[in-house]
Amino acid sequence: MSEKLKAYLEEISHFLSGREEREEILAEIRSHILEKAEQECGQATEASLARVIAAYGPARRVAEKYLDGRQIIAPAYNRYLFRYTALLFAFHFALTVVAVVFKKSFLMFPILYVPSMGPFDALFYLPTALLFDLGAVTLILYLITQSKKDVKLPWPKFSIDIDEMKTTGRTIGRIIGLIAMTALTSAALYLYIRYGTIFFVNFNLPQRRPIFTPGAGQWFSLILIGLWGISAISLAIKLVASSPWVDAVEKALSLVLIGLAFRQPFETAFAIPLSENLIRTIKLGLTITLLIICIFVASDFIKAVIRIGRKRLAK
Amino acid sequence: MDPEISNFETEMNRGFLQILALALLEKDMYGYAMVRTIRDLGYEVEENTLYPLLRRLEKNGWVKSKWDVSEDRPRKFYGITDEGRSLRTELLGIWRKQVQILKQLTEENSHV
Repeated sequence: MSEKLKAYLEEISHFLSGREEREEILAEIRSHILEKAEQECGQATEASLARVIAAYGPARRVAEKYLDGRQIIAPAYNRYLFRYTALLFAFHFALTVVAVVFKKSFLMFPILYVPSMGPFDALFYLPTALLFDLGAVTLILYLITQSKKDVKLPWPKFSIDIDEMKTTGRTIGRIIGLIAMTALTSAALYLYIRYGTIFFVNFNLPQRRPIFTPGAGQWFSLILIGLWGISAISLAIKLVASSPWVDAVEKALSLVLIGLAFRQPFETAFAIPLSENLIRTIKLGLTITLLIICIFVASDFIKAVIRIGRKRLAK
Repeated sequence: MDPEISNFETEMNRGFLQILALALLEKDMYGYAMVRTIRDLGYEVEENTLYPLLRRLEKNGWVKSKWDVSEDRPRKFYGITDEGRSLRTELLGIWRKQVQILKQLTEENSHV
């Protein structure tokens, strides 16, 4: 048999693996191609077979026509995939926050395990959790689809709805945001270059003093300048090219920077005398504030990832 | 051909090809012969669509098949079954009704 025909049939065979009637399908295609090459080109040469094979179509497309088109997730349940994943991830995220703040572990075998972890570990744990949640929801929707039952799943209104996102007035908002963020970043940079920190007590008075020690001051100042700078750059890019990738990268970098803020030991960060109780209260307040910011940033990050996924699916 | 029209044609062909195959298979035929016959009738059919369709029709009991190995090249012959004939009658009835509706609408539109 011609090498070309053999390779073509092997490729179709690869895509049909698991089908018991595979050999018969291949025999029929082989017979058709050889007969067509002889009838329409005189004889079955390598060149004539190549023409007939090209006309028959790419191996994957040919094989797909024999597959019964069984769906992994029925079209009616497609929309639940991202919404349920977002909900599950929100739950996962909340438990992660609790695990970080209260140093607790959660185990609901085999569906959930959130170990006690530090804020920095959480940054690496959450993407894995997101993928797990996506897989878990996919599996449930797959099982519902395969059951062929008309299961009416609830459609919660309070989670992310990309379709309802407003588009009007965005440009004006972005311009105002860009001006504000650029001014803020520039002013902070100026202060940082001049004083080595942007955090002061009594900034307008002669007895102006930095709040943090030089090392901590530099650390927190650079993180804040970084966050504002990323925001300004993102707004500038979005004015000329709106893409969910811009949001995704911006939010991912912001999450990393916020995570870095937790790496600075807080108890020894202050350059001004503060009681232990007050430091503890400030630390708790700041941790909660940062985690809330994290939730919003992570939520925007998920939205951006969903939009990227949807665009790819649409393509 | 305009890709949009081509898409519509593919959609329309799906049903048409089933009736066509059931109509052709009153006499036993193998795939390549069916492709040639359809082409001689002035219609083009994608070869890689015909064989999976025949397989589906066979799976549902509307056509039956048999390998003929008497010649150098084995050929799989298909023929219609009694269930296939009943289905063909039903499908032709639907098709006639559709044609009638379209004809009536086209005539009405031409008088507007």
